[in-house]
Amino acid sequence: MSDNNNSSNRRNFLTNLTKVMGGVGAVFAAIPFLSSMSPSEKTKMAGAPIEIDVSNIQPGAFKIVEWRGKPVWVVRRTPEMLEKIKNDVGYLADPNSNEENQPQYAQNKFRSVKPEYLVLLGVCTHLGCSPLYKPGQNKDLGLEWEGGFFCPCHGSKFDLSGRVFKGMPAPTNLEVPPYYFASDTKLIVGADEG
Amino acid sequence: MTKFIAWIDERLPVTKFVKNHLSEYYAPKNFNFFYFFGSLALFVFILQIITGIFLTINYKPDAASAFASVEYIMRDVEWGWLIRYMHSTGASFFFIVIYLHMLRALMYGSYKKPRELLWLFGMFIFVLLMAEAFMGYLLPWGQMSYWGAQVIISLFGAIPLIGESLALWIRGDYVISDATLNRFFAFHVIALPLLLFAVIYLHIAALHTVGSNNPDGVEIKANKNNDGVPVDGIPFHPYYTVKDIFGLAVFLTIFMFVVFFLPEFGGFFLEKDNFVPADPLKTPEHIVPVWYFTPFYAILRAVPDKLGGVIAMGLAIFVLFLMPWLDRCKVKSIRYRSISYKILLIAFIVSFIGLGYIGMKAPTYTLTLLGRIFTIIYFGFFILLYFISKNEKTKPVPERVTMHD
Amino acid sequence: MIKRYLAFFITLFLLSPVTYGASGGDLKPVAIDLDNKASLQRGAQIYFNNCAGCHTLQYHRYSKFVNDLGISEEMIKKNLILTTYKGEKTKLGSTIVNSINHDSIKEVFGVVPPDLTLTARSRGSEWIYTFLTSFYEDQTRPMGVNNVLYPNVNMPHVLWYKEGLKELDENNQLVIKIKGQLNQKEYEQEITDLVNFLTYVSEPAQLERYSIGFWVMLFLVIFVFITYLLKIEYWRDIK
Repeated sequence: MSDNNNSSNRRNFLTNLTKVMGGVGAVFAAIPFLSSMSPSEKTKMAGAPIEIDVSNIQPGAFKIVEWRGKPVWVVRRTPEMLEKIKNDVGYLADPNSNEENQPQYAQNKFRSVKPEYLVLLGVCTHLGCSPLYKPGQNKDLGLEWEGGFFCPCHGSKFDLSGRVFKGMPAPTNLEVPPYYFASDTKLIVGADEG
Repeated sequence: MTKFIAWIDERLPVTKFVKNHLSEYYAPKNFNFFYFFGSLALFVFILQIITGIFLTINYKPDAASAFASVEYIMRDVEWGWLIRYMHSTGASFFFIVIYLHMLRALMYGSYKKPRELLWLFGMFIFVLLMAEAFMGYLLPWGQMSYWGAQVIISLFGAIPLIGESLALWIRGDYVISDATLNRFFAFHVIALPLLLFAVIYLHIAALHTVGSNNPDGVEIKANKNNDGVPVDGIPFHPYYTVKDIFGLAVFLTIFMFVVFFLPEFGGFFLEKDNFVPADPLKTPEHIVPVWYFTPFYAILRAVPDKLGGVIAMGLAIFVLFLMPWLDRCKVKSIRYRSISYKILLIAFIVSFIGLGYIGMKAPTYTLTLLGRIFTIIYFGFFILLYFISKNEKTKPVPERVTMHD
Repeated sequence: MIKRYLAFFITLFLLSPVTYGASGGDLKPVAIDLDNKASLQRGAQIYFNNCAGCHTLQYHRYSKFVNDLGISEEMIKKNLILTTYKGEKTKLGSTIVNSINHDSIKEVFGVVPPDLTLTARSRGSEWIYTFLTSFYEDQTRPMGVNNVLYPNVNMPHVLWYKEGLKELDENNQLVIKIKGQLNQKEYEQEITDLVNFLTYVSEPAQLERYSIGFWVMLFLVIFVFITYLLKIEYWRDIK
């Protein structure tokens, strides 16, 4: 009788051990297959940081460059534009940029490192359309409009710091990509400084 | 849990299926080494499907970018090299497993009544597999891919009257080209795998209807106990599941060893010339098919006539379909058959391996002569078998299976 | 039963060396060591200083050198990337190509210099090594040199300033005629580094393949052992 018991213990033990090892093996075997679907070396390198020369952007003008296949906007804001960017206004959903849609160094009312240059990912936080740059007042966009970005797909409005208006389809402010200034005119987008 | 299973069973007979095919499917208890290869073949088939899907994700079936996309998989895709080597090694191992599986059938007479249909389905699988492998080999778009395909498709041109137009129709162009690559891709990744899946299903369905043969060639169903269970049968699960898991573990050890340490296998699994992109203007010095085709390729070359060679090669495969009717001996297993059958089978195996070797080498006088001798032995096996098996002097077959080892 | 498995294994392993002995007889052996990062780095430098002007490594990317060879991004940009693309310096993530005009180079050399990404796989490391040590002076050839391994090759002996110039003596042996910057041993070391680098480029996975393979083997061997015990345990029922 005890012989039988020993045998069935041993049998259960070996069966479970095989199951565990087989399971572990299967998990390890799955890793190469699943990770083969992540971005390849080519894709990753295409997403490498890019350099932008900002010296040729006129005050008040706007430049689009491509980074990781998405539009990145660089807006050179004039002092008048900067004056209109305020925190204590009621029509913005997140005036203090509390949502983490920007690197820490851009968490201010200008949402930038240097107030003069605004760097934004030109992708609406609603469903991924690319909003349009509409500087200056515009009756069609409402009385509060002092210039900003307007998404043609579902009408979301953002101010000159890319902050979303209240009651818009877009849930959050426009995203600020990681960036830094390598020199006064050389902007690196896609990496933090250091 | 039991309630849930009962709910399912009312709607889909899962429990019945498991019983019929695993826990109450009775297999002879005397299976030996050669009986691993059926389940292993199924495993390799699934492995090829999975690795194939993940290769398709990055492969480009376009003459201008196919070669580069394979190299892209080999270096830019994370783990791409491993998946590619598993697929390329898997192709060769598929044939190793299948050839051993077929040898088993020849040794123990597994094609004989009542398993004729089982054998025919198996042969269809073999032919489909050759087509699958051939078309897959074009996809890397290297020199061997290109010129191998060029030679094999030109064979169709040997067929009288329709040959040339048939070859043209298969290629979709006057030479192997982008059009050929594209259609081969379609066949390789979807058409043939679907067909294979269907025929493998039929193969297993037929097997589970008639039951497995065994090394003694005794029908275990002829000897049942009061419960209707064959006395020499044991439930497939757990006994053969644990045995096959062990077989699979051994197989995987050898397989992964090749994948990691010998993926080219000295030029047998991945040929050197296939690391040169296809060049329609320059033929490599030696065009050699991959090793699993070389026995048939050697038969093709042994016949000094284009059409004759093609016919001989086709016949070499076709004649295997006829095994259930060529072998007229009632005794199944080689254990109880005459010495002449044993000699015949050994001669056949030697000629098959010999042809495989000759097919890899450049044709010299000696090798061509040897190739002809082996070709004669190859066909001689079937012809002599037909006559010998009529009134073969066999040993008495036991009532019950015997256990060796 | 065990005996039969053993026989199967042994046959399989006996087969493998046969396949390896197949390479050509008159090739010189070269000590490939992909673990030797210093050698691979030197090889890369030799390649980009001497070969990259005409030959490409079009399936490989510069960026792979960072992890594979341990060369920093700055060093790659400074020392290895010598080409431009659309007026800007070639990017780190781009493949290793050059801007040679195929038509004009064909006029000079008679052929377009082949891509070298996979040469170590298609011809073999030993072939490249032998080729690069087999140039000799031959004034009848347009480039003034010929090659023992590849007669009438169109490639000039680019590294002659390092090796010097050899000639064929009456016994068909290669002997140095004009001395170069390096002695024979130093030159052979440089070529070994270069071939080592090209071997790596032909299959970067080799760097990790063997070490991962070791762990997979270890796991599987244990798994075989466990499943063997399992099989034996269950099959004690079968009489």
